[in-house]
Amino acid sequence: MAAFALLLTGVVALNVAVLRANMAVHRLDEERAQLEARNQALSSQLSAARSAPRIESLARKLGLVPAPASDTSYLDLGRP
Amino acid sequence: MARVVNSRLRLLLLLVFLAFAVLFVRAAWIQTVRASSLAARAQEQTKTTVTLPAARGTIFDRLGAPLALGEQATTIVADPMQIRDPRHAAAVAAKVLGLDARKLYPLLADRSRGFVYVERKAPPAKASALARRKLAGFDFYPEERRVYPQRTVAAPVLGYAGIDNTGLAGLELQLDKELSGTPGEATVIRDALGRVIDTTNERPARNGHDVFLTLDHTIQANAEQVLRDTVRRWHAKSATAIVVDPRTDAVLAMATEPGYDANTFPQALAKGLEANHAVTDVFEPGSVFKVVTIGAALSEGLVTPETTFTLPYSIRVADRVIHDAEPRPTERMTVAQILQRSSNVGTVTIARNLLGEARLKEWIHRFGFGERTGVGFPGESAGLLPSYWSGSTIGNVPIGQGISVTAIQLASVYAAIANGGVWVQPHLVDHVQGEPRPVLRRRRILSPRVDRQLLAMLKGVVSDQGTAQAAEIPGYTVAGKTGTAQKPGPNGYMPGKYVATFVGMVPARHPRLVVLVSVDEPKGAIFGGVVAAPAFARIASFDLQYLEVPPDLKLPRP
Repeated sequence: MAAFALLLTGVVALNVAVLRANMAVHRLDEERAQLEARNQALSSQLSAARSAPRIESLARKLGLVPAPASDTSYLDLGRP
Repeated sequence: MARVVNSRLRLLLLLVFLAFAVLFVRAAWIQTVRASSLAARAQEQTKTTVTLPAARGTIFDRLGAPLALGEQATTIVADPMQIRDPRHAAAVAAKVLGLDARKLYPLLADRSRGFVYVERKAPPAKASALARRKLAGFDFYPEERRVYPQRTVAAPVLGYAGIDNTGLAGLELQLDKELSGTPGEATVIRDALGRVIDTTNERPARNGHDVFLTLDHTIQANAEQVLRDTVRRWHAKSATAIVVDPRTDAVLAMATEPGYDANTFPQALAKGLEANHAVTDVFEPGSVFKVVTIGAALSEGLVTPETTFTLPYSIRVADRVIHDAEPRPTERMTVAQILQRSSNVGTVTIARNLLGEARLKEWIHRFGFGERTGVGFPGESAGLLPSYWSGSTIGNVPIGQGISVTAIQLASVYAAIANGGVWVQPHLVDHVQGEPRPVLRRRRILSPRVDRQLLAMLKGVVSDQGTAQAAEIPGYTVAGKTGTAQKPGPNGYMPGKYVATFVGMVPARHPRLVVLVSVDEPKGAIFGGVVAAPAFARIASFDLQYLEVPPDLKLPRP
């Protein structure tokens, strides 16, 4: 009788452990999905921040202007 | 007395025993005979099949900057049959989501429906705020929303994926099969509190493939800005620019002005702004087409760059009079000068007297006109070739009138000239994730010798003797051709309406870039050398610095 009770207790404990593991897996799945969504949102923000029109607009507000090509000098390091 | 009490106690015990016996039998009956059917019913009540959404692939530029990607959003739905106070629910939802309560109320009050959309793909923060209000009858589920973080950059090229994340225009449409994933499915079992306790029969979602373009978002944005300034400066109707690496015919930029924010495509569509003019529209190219006539004559051995002709200011061809742009006396010009000064009379003389209609037609096809380039964009036009050649057609087509081409066809022809005479299929897509790189069509259209001759002559165009001095870039040799073409209308050419074009190659000795600029209906000036050539110079100057292409002329002193 005691052995039977012990066996039943073991089965119940196993089932409870499986249920808890399933719930944990589901929680981790949800967390992964949230992290992926956050990652996508950050990628989108980064791309928007890197866009040339935005950078140019900010630069102009700071008083910067595009450097004319004729103002660029090159040094030939091919000869001493 | 004691005997009576004992018998009543025994009766009570018997009744209690019988009650427990009944309960015990009932419990045993439920857990044995009814066990499987009750377990199945419990599963039915707690088991649901859910769709596992597939993410749409991201579109990246050549440097890995995402130009189109999915963001998490929340779709809010409601069951009007469960909403007791639709007026209150509409007011709360409208306030939180920023909607119009007057439009929302009739949806929530319609008890004949069990499902209505409150908002598709709402921002998650607003959806969470509404969820915290715990309104009865409202449900929330995640959906992916397509966003274009760089907004106006390459908008007509990227196109649009609609509310259901299917491609509706542009590359989103062209590559819809590659970008779309396949949703998965799973059976989810929940407990009485709604928590997931098991997942079975799972078929995972397959996400869409990412696509990597040849476009460079910085080169693209600069080209768009230059076109904006050009359209504003010349009060033009529109403008197009294409930047190509002639070594591979990879399209680095494909710009159209006026542009729009890709995230507001429906509004742009309503205004007719969505077209990618570089690929879908045709126009009469004018003098930029002369490279075909001259290239053909050189290849056939009919002329050399030094062959000389005596050319009056005007000639008659059938019932038409062809003349040069600027009045001049009769003079002798070499073939090089004919191209350098863009002489209509000289070009038509070569075509009519030497090349002839049959060979010119052959070379037009050889250069790729009349067929799609295969750049990989929906709705690409093949251009329009004359179906019937009258006596005067030989006076028009050689100088780029009476024939319609697309900007991408022209750019790819000049890219072939810049690439030693080898035409390579222009392309916008570098590769699709997980798939082999596409094999591009290639063919030689000019021999290396003729190509060198043509390139040298086109260098002469960008000089004080040529028509495109405004295309000069300090430190670099530039070769190119101007074009100023009348626009055809229903009753012949429309007075005062022109397309001004310049196509340039830089550095001319070993070109790294081919840039085409075409301006539709400029006002105040109409010539390619005045309107389009300066825009070319601005675009190319920036790109040369950005790509760190060293100058090929004598270096200026620091």
